[in-house]
Amino acid sequence: MVSLIASTVDTAIIGKGLMIGGGFIGPGIGIGLIGGNYLAAVGRNPEAAKFLGQALVFVAIAELFGLLAFASIFIVK
Amino acid sequence: MRSLFADSSPAVHIAPGGVFHLGGLTITNSIFYGWICSVVLIITFIWVARKITVKPKGGFIQFVEVGADFITNLVVNAFDDKKKGRKYVPYFVTLFFFILFNNWLGLVPGVGEGVHVGSLPLLRPFTGDLNATLAIGLITMLVVYGSSIRESGSIRNYLRHFFVGNPLNPLYLIIGLLEMLTDLTRVFSLSLRLFLNIAIGEIVIAVFSYLGHVLAPATALPFTLLELFVGALQAYIFCVLSVNYLAIAVNHAHHDLTEEDVPETIGMEMETNG
Repeated sequence: MVSLIASTVDTAIIGKGLMIGGGFIGPGIGIGLIGGNYLAAVGRNPEAAKFLGQALVFVAIAELFGLLAFASIFIVK
Repeated sequence: MRSLFADSSPAVHIAPGGVFHLGGLTITNSIFYGWICSVVLIITFIWVARKITVKPKGGFIQFVEVGADFITNLVVNAFDDKKKGRKYVPYFVTLFFFILFNNWLGLVPGVGEGVHVGSLPLLRPFTGDLNATLAIGLITMLVVYGSSIRESGSIRNYLRHFFVGNPLNPLYLIIGLLEMLTDLTRVFSLSLRLFLNIAIGEIVIAVFSYLGHVLAPATALPFTLLELFVGALQAYIFCVLSVNYLAIAVNHAHHDLTEEDVPETIGMEMETNG
């Protein structure tokens, strides 16, 4: 049964889909939190708007993990 | 009949390929385009340096001026001692413009999956190659290590910073070794971040121009504009992170921790016991 599924379904495609989907959840949540908290800070104190650069640094750090997941799909054959 | 959806995947190259040979050395497409970009960069900046005036006239020259000023402020403000910070400004301004121009020139039509030699693209963005970004990251971190050793006086003093207390204490030893490991992984995190952002940007543009078929310019345009933003952001982030790594090491070099500075933790007890 398992071999039948393995021969008819391309498991590499499923693996790649799971890697992309699972790998992008974390950075998505992280970037959302960073952006939301940045806007909350600006709403409370408009002077804080100048810290956009610092917020983007953390966006880049969170983004790296999603990109690592994206890069890993090339090793699945 | 040609399907409306992708019947075969678009050509995606994530590794550089050798396109021609020069005296026994294989020249890959990314280093070839890196040379072109470097020549363009040198010529442009010599021209800018000749044309620059005290009263800005606008245009491209002012763009360079704003960028250089931005990075200068960034570097100088990161250091406790502003005079010390000014020494490192030229390196980071060069780094910023080198990465920025390589990212942006990589988006020019024809670069990437445009012109092919055999099955390989003739030109690839220089920063879309792991070898290139690893070299940039390695040189940056060598500058950071070298400067921190010089600022702290000797290698012994430099290594001493990794340890909060006495290195013979097993807890401080493990924390210190972990700190050293963190310092070494910065080379990879810096270079991987830049490489993956640019390489994946290329792939996204290639995929969307493939899906667009005849309308390829229209479907690829939004992602090219996004990549313009990402390219500038990555150049900025590379600078911010490397400046901070340098500033932490250099600022730290001045107050050497003595045994009295260590807060009362288990370390003090263990030293008296053993």
